[in-house]
Amino acid sequence: MTSRVSLVQRLSALGPWLLVLPATAVLLFILIIPVAGTLAESFSNPAGLFANYRDFFADSYNRTVMIRSFRIAFLSTLTALILGFGGAYMIANSSQGLKRVLLILSVFPLLTSVVVRSFSFMAILGRNGVVNTALMKLGLISEPMEMLFTQGAVIAGLAYLFTPLMILSLVGVLENIEDDLYLAAGSLGAAPVAVFFQVTLPLAVPGMIVGSVLVFTGSLATFVTPTLLGGEPQMTLATLLYQKAMISFDWGVANTIAAIMMGTAIFCVVVLGTIAGRISARRAVH
Amino acid sequence: MPHSKSLLRSGALAALFCLPVFSAQAQETFVVSNWGYSNDFYEPFIFEPFEKEHNVRIVTETGGAPERLNKARIRGGVDVILLTDKFSQIGINQGAFETIDSSKLSNFDELYDAAKNPQGDYGPAYTFGRYGIVYDKTRTDTPITSWCDLWRDDFAGAIAMPAFNTTGGPLTVMMAGKCAGSDAFEDPDTAFAKMAELKPNIVKTFSSGSELTNLLSTGEAFIGLAQDYAFPAIQAANPNIGWAELSEGDFRMMNTYNIPKNAKHKELALAFIDFSISMQAQKDAAIELVSGSGPVNKTVELTPEQASQLVYGEKAVLSMQPTPYDKLLEVNDDWERRWNDVFGR
Repeated sequence: MTSRVSLVQRLSALGPWLLVLPATAVLLFILIIPVAGTLAESFSNPAGLFANYRDFFADSYNRTVMIRSFRIAFLSTLTALILGFGGAYMIANSSQGLKRVLLILSVFPLLTSVVVRSFSFMAILGRNGVVNTALMKLGLISEPMEMLFTQGAVIAGLAYLFTPLMILSLVGVLENIEDDLYLAAGSLGAAPVAVFFQVTLPLAVPGMIVGSVLVFTGSLATFVTPTLLGGEPQMTLATLLYQKAMISFDWGVANTIAAIMMGTAIFCVVVLGTIAGRISARRAVH
Repeated sequence: MPHSKSLLRSGALAALFCLPVFSAQAQETFVVSNWGYSNDFYEPFIFEPFEKEHNVRIVTETGGAPERLNKARIRGGVDVILLTDKFSQIGINQGAFETIDSSKLSNFDELYDAAKNPQGDYGPAYTFGRYGIVYDKTRTDTPITSWCDLWRDDFAGAIAMPAFNTTGGPLTVMMAGKCAGSDAFEDPDTAFAKMAELKPNIVKTFSSGSELTNLLSTGEAFIGLAQDYAFPAIQAANPNIGWAELSEGDFRMMNTYNIPKNAKHKELALAFIDFSISMQAQKDAAIELVSGSGPVNKTVELTPEQASQLVYGEKAVLSMQPTPYDKLLEVNDDWERRWNDVFGR
């Protein structure tokens, strides 16, 4: 009897592990093994363990592409943060019914394909697009401005693509700021601007960090938007990776780029995650 | 007993439902790797008759030439692949394709000599085509009559040019060399200096025919360096666009069939190629696809109107500039680095 009970107990203890086993197995086969293989390949050059990386960084064109990719990802994140904060602040301070509508509207772009969204930007920023036509009709410009196939177009496209993620990351954080804090700040004589900068903004930092990680890593990895809105002069790591893997068949360089992109994404998640954790812990202590 | 009866009934029903599944499985699947640009034509005129005749089911794999070649070579699962001669030459150099015994192709002798074995024994060409300049003739008063016109000041921000890793990309470098009075293979410095002068005129470098069509139809560009397979869609989007009559001539293009070494159905692939180069299939392609499908079968007879937009006949093909793919592939890495220095910064 005792042994049967202990067997049942032991099986019950195994229950959670058995439940996560299928998902773990799937992840192992479709994520961990391929990623490990890609990393291993990037170090498998017969000329030396780091030969692929040495060759990659020795080429000034590759360095240009890498710096450009980080600049585009950073500026897209900044743009999405500014736009997303405003949107999230408005949603968090709306009534329940309106909040639901606004949330659905803000995530609506995520329901359409990235290709369609990028093409719609071509219709907006193009020579005969909405912006140029409007500016010309208003008499503000006499000739269409070159907006498409520039770095600005790529940043605008990426910011549009990822602002919904920023909004979703921020709404929850802003909603959780207790009204008492605003009332206390107001009663102590803080002007609305001071309340925003001294209460709202510091308390929203963890959400801003989470959103920024999502947008930055997403912008760095996105392939379609830089291809359609930027073209060759705006080559990024993701488009270079595609070119090396699928067109030049240079898998050594492709694996190296993939490893660099993965390393960057992991670095961002770990460092910014740690900062967010520390801020949350400090807030809890206070 | 009732149990055994119901079991029997269930078994019979299951067998009945499984029958179509088994018979469908009995039918072989034949994989054709194609661009996807002209599958509306291939479906009724090539695939369906071939499927009926050989009791197979054709599955297409679509995409750009380099990706499809890469997939066919590394992953396999493709029985016959349609490529431009640049990419079939890459595949041949990589040892990706079977040699083809042309004596097994009943229609082989009907081909123009230029199409018979353009790259050795790796398969015949199935269309003749060209690479040249198309432009909106209402957007300039002075017609384009030479490749060197691309450098004209009035074409600033007007040109859509193929990216380097396409069939046409490196050909523009050859013409840049010529316009600078040198040979790009002998003196790439001069050719790429000339390419740098072209940069202000380039609105975008494109990687696919559909991207070019989009740029020309939205008015982002009004000059395109194009292969003729994309021309019907371009002209449908903007009827003012026509071919430039170039003093140096267009470049000669050929699309080829190749059988990957790792193909499952090699005999069937031979039969497919044979069927596609037959007089009727070639004539259908020339008429239905409008352009980009200059017939390679010399028994095909077209009316002057049908032939007007095609590279029709061996004489027309041989009068064009040849594309020296062997030489281009030799300098590919150096030119790609130089190209990136000009257009990627």
